[in-house]
Amino acid sequence: MSPPEHETIVAAIRAARIAAPPDLRGRVLALAAAPPAPPRRLLPWRRTALVLVPACAALAVAGALAYGLASSGPQRRAAPGAVAPQAELSAPDRAVPKAAGGAGAGVPASTGRAQRYEAELTLRVKDLSAATKRTLRLTRGFHGYVRSVDYGSGADRGSAMLVLRVPVGSVQEALVRFSALGTIVDQHVSIRDVQAQLDRRFRQLQALRDSIAKLRARLEAPTLSAAERRTLESRLVATRRRLVALQQAQARERRLVSFATVSLSLRSSTAAVVAQHEPGRIGRAFHRSGEILLAELRVVVYALVVGAPLLLLAGAAAAAARVRRRRLEARLLGRDG
Amino acid sequence: MRVVSPTPSGDAVPAFSSAVERHLDDVHGYLVYLTRDRSVAEDLTAETFEKALRNWRRFDPRRGAVHTWLLSIARTTALDHFRAEERRRRRESAYALEQPLPDEGLFGGLSAELEQALASLSAGEREVIALRVLLDLDGETAARVLGISLTACSTRLSRALKKLEERMAADVAA
Repeated sequence: MSPPEHETIVAAIRAARIAAPPDLRGRVLALAAAPPAPPRRLLPWRRTALVLVPACAALAVAGALAYGLASSGPQRRAAPGAVAPQAELSAPDRAVPKAAGGAGAGVPASTGRAQRYEAELTLRVKDLSAATKRTLRLTRGFHGYVRSVDYGSGADRGSAMLVLRVPVGSVQEALVRFSALGTIVDQHVSIRDVQAQLDRRFRQLQALRDSIAKLRARLEAPTLSAAERRTLESRLVATRRRLVALQQAQARERRLVSFATVSLSLRSSTAAVVAQHEPGRIGRAFHRSGEILLAELRVVVYALVVGAPLLLLAGAAAAAARVRRRRLEARLLGRDG
Repeated sequence: MRVVSPTPSGDAVPAFSSAVERHLDDVHGYLVYLTRDRSVAEDLTAETFEKALRNWRRFDPRRGAVHTWLLSIARTTALDHFRAEERRRRRESAYALEQPLPDEGLFGGLSAELEQALASLSAGEREVIALRVLLDLDGETAARVLGISLTACSTRLSRALKKLEERMAADVAA
């Protein structure tokens, strides 16, 4: 007898169809005749996501727009750049006008406390050369001095960067005069109180002076041995050195706080200056809506950054479970009969 | 064929009783090949259709034919059964797949040699023969039921048939 061919086996298997026994058919058909179970009200996750994601996005945009519209009422505070330039005074440079409270005057320095006062002012000027010269004159007029000047002028644009040191008592008036040279584009004032630092150093100086006096008194004692004397003298020298260093630091700090630093940027080109305009209500509404949307976007990005590792872990766990299930299936089905 | 109701996707699905009439023999035959045990296959067939009835409303014809869906449920049910049997075997040192073949022929009117050769194959090999040869499913559908690629399905079938031939040849030579 010869072994059966491949096709013969296939034909034999196909010919021998297996019919379900009648009792099984009856059992299963009885199932079909039974009343169906009530449907479960579970929404498919894809459909749910398809609805929820656009709904959340629409809600976020609507919320941002509503906030933008609600908070876009009339402006109560003028932007720094919106300040109208003051007319240049014809009075001599030393004669400072009483415009301390005016626009662009900056924050007044405290008269009773030591403070480091720094101001940055950006101005758009018509004549860069004249404005620069006038700034230098004004600075000298306030008994200040110029720390650095960086001047550059081209065919259609130019700029000058001046770092000025102005006595702190006159800085407010100086800022008023400087701002009158053109239109303020930007200004920034920084004040840092250093009075506590000066006081602390003053107390250290007093303590050092007391130490020196005591050491001197001990050195005058006739009963001192040569070795004790040398020790006390070396301590006296070291204390004096510390006193001198501290006095220098104190003097340096006092010089620093007696003058304010004004960084003045003058620009002559209109192209180099950010156009300052008053946005309308719609513009403000859009601007604020944009800010809210950006904040919402930041939250979403943050959530993604935080959630991404968790999602990756979940994905890895799912993949591992899938591989494990596959292996188990292969083991269950791979056993020979 | 009687149509009951449209699915949420809008496609019409056949009534469950029609699906039973049409596919019961195929599901049962597949499970006989897979389990090599008629009584177990009958229980698993009934269980398969119970599960199918419970989930009938969730069946989406756009994702596959009723036939494929039922065979997939049958496969999952059989695998669950094998897992349970394995646990039981660990406890009792007896396994359903190691039961002797019935005298009347398990696979329905095949020669004794072919019955023996089929019974000696692994469940996975009998499964692919059942799907591709007995039920005459196309490669893509069979691969879908098995959860493997078309190439893997073809390879598995080819190896199973070759093994079947070899075992029959060995029987004849003996």
